Amino acid sequence: MVEFKKIDGRSNGYWLICAIFFVLMMWGFYAWYLQLVYGHCVTGLSQRVPWGFGTAAICYTIGASAGSLIVSALSGVFGKTEFKFFSRSACVFALATIVAAMLSIMQDIGNPENALNVLMHYNPTSVFSWNSFLYSSYFVIGFVYLMAQFGEKHRITKALAVLAVAWAVLVHSGTGGIVGFVYSTDLYHSSLTIPMFIVSAIVSGLGLLIPMWLLTFKWTNRPLDRNLMWVLAKIMGALTILLLYCFAAEALDTAYVPGNAGAIHMALFDFRYPYAWDFWVIQVGGCLLTVLILLTPWGKTDWGMGIAGFIVAIAVYGERYSLITPGLGYPKDLVPGMIFRPFWIVPYYPSWVEYAEIIGLMSMACLVYCIGLKIFAILPERGEVEEE
Amino acid sequence: MTSRREFLILLATSTAAIATSKAMQLPKTEVDLSKYKWAMVVQVDKCTKCINNILKKKGIKFDELSLDKQNELLRNLRPPCVAACDLANNVPRMPNNPRFDCYMVRIIAAKSTENAEWRFFPLMCQECEHPACVEVCPTKASYKRPDGIVVVDLHRCIGCRYCMVACPYNARTFTFMDPLEHLEKINPEVPIRKDGVPMKCEFCRWLIDMERCEGVKNPKPVCVQVCPYDALVFGNLKDPNSEVSKIVKTSKVVRLRAGLGTEPKVFYQDL
Repeated sequence: MVEFKKIDGRSNGYWLICAIFFVLMMWGFYAWYLQLVYGHCVTGLSQRVPWGFGTAAICYTIGASAGSLIVSALSGVFGKTEFKFFSRSACVFALATIVAAMLSIMQDIGNPENALNVLMHYNPTSVFSWNSFLYSSYFVIGFVYLMAQFGEKHRITKALAVLAVAWAVLVHSGTGGIVGFVYSTDLYHSSLTIPMFIVSAIVSGLGLLIPMWLLTFKWTNRPLDRNLMWVLAKIMGALTILLLYCFAAEALDTAYVPGNAGAIHMALFDFRYPYAWDFWVIQVGGCLLTVLILLTPWGKTDWGMGIAGFIVAIAVYGERYSLITPGLGYPKDLVPGMIFRPFWIVPYYPSWVEYAEIIGLMSMACLVYCIGLKIFAILPERGEVEEE
Repeated sequence: MTSRREFLILLATSTAAIATSKAMQLPKTEVDLSKYKWAMVVQVDKCTKCINNILKKKGIKFDELSLDKQNELLRNLRPPCVAACDLANNVPRMPNNPRFDCYMVRIIAAKSTENAEWRFFPLMCQECEHPACVEVCPTKASYKRPDGIVVVDLHRCIGCRYCMVACPYNARTFTFMDPLEHLEKINPEVPIRKDGVPMKCEFCRWLIDMERCEGVKNPKPVCVQVCPYDALVFGNLKDPNSEVSKIVKTSKVVRLRAGLGTEPKVFYQDL
């Protein structure tokens, strides 16, 4: 039986962390305010690259949420009872990040006052429309699942855990479909995008949760079984290798088409633009570094696991960025079989407003988690498996 | 509790209100739009002649320009069709700011091989039969009218830009800032857009609807009206006697990115 307890949350350290997250959150909201007043011209977007950091943030936060919920359901779905310690806190983080995801949609759209139209005028052929239903229902399912955990209703919790995992996979598949189903852009259309989204969701979920748990247990002076953390880190490492494999498969698949030569060269090898840097340094480099850290003895330490998690969380963000922007930066083949002008590659660099918005939203999710620790019993008294 | 007297007054008032509103209703004058299927034929030979003349007057040899100069030139080129469209449709042009510059129609240069001559033609919304923008729009703000024109309902649009990403022709632009500041003149017949919404060519539907209601037999968008070379032919594909139908039936015309299956209703002749 795992006993969950609220934290005291009276220390200076606790208030300092909350204050930092609050300030960052307000910075993000200020950036959003500027965008509302002056329009999207305060972003780095352009007519040719109308989706950028903000859209990557939507995919990322939804992925992190889906990944966290899947981790939360490890004990319920797969019978891994030793992971029950983490089920509540992971679920709270999943709910906080899905709220951040919905807010990032609000930040990204040009006409937020019309946002409710998504629910009122459902378009069955639009993947975005499917997602409006999936995201809202996902939040409800996650919330009921959390309530069932609080109520210690084991059978219902187990059933809801199965439903939550299935829904998390659906939600993130839908998000992958937004990009993967677009057939007008050479670098977008891929059947691998959806499964890759699921893998990277779990990786980024674990990448954020591992350092968060290590710090939470350390700062609240609660014992934590390092073997459990190491199992999660190993899952993260294995999925990171799978992710690298997916990157290679997708890049080779696209590059094999002669007509895609220009686009793939720009995205992967033309270092005059930000796309190749992002692909090799952040996306591939970050994933490789994570795997390397976890393969060394240092990788088993708190620092090793925490840093590996943090790096892979950023690498997955880089993956989202490189999935969305290079395909738009490279010109569409408007007149197939002919040389045509205007023909120019548009580099996309996010503005500080876009950075502030995503940092603000992630800080909001972390702040909700910190407040949740104080208000609700979501953290176990001891994070160790008792010998029977 | 409502008394019988109050109930009867309420009943009589409601009946009178319903009867009055019925009597006030205007007779139905709506035209059956499904009788039409608007299409355009771009005669590339004539368009090329027009642009070559403009370039000749300016003393520019397009082939000798660098790629960057060619791009810049085409971005800022405003032959009569583009200039008239910008003015008539309240398009906020920002030539000094290509990142946010809006357009509905732009000039494309294309050639089949390195040694071939450049051909010039306008590229606007292709008014697809199976439009990707309509397919992806989460609010049905982009929709296809019965006459085939793809329209954006600005009151419903959330500004997600999914339509821009999905469009195979980059036919849509987004108002990154308040368009009012960048309009030379305002046409009151056309809705003035706010910032945060997409815009696209709608075959000047405000004009063709108006002309059709006035009994004009062959309504035309402004680009067609002002073209000095009669390079643009507009008409109803459902009318077998329309010029558009005849050209499409008898000449070799191509549709851009036809392999995607979007079935554009803008045809290019002699490309």
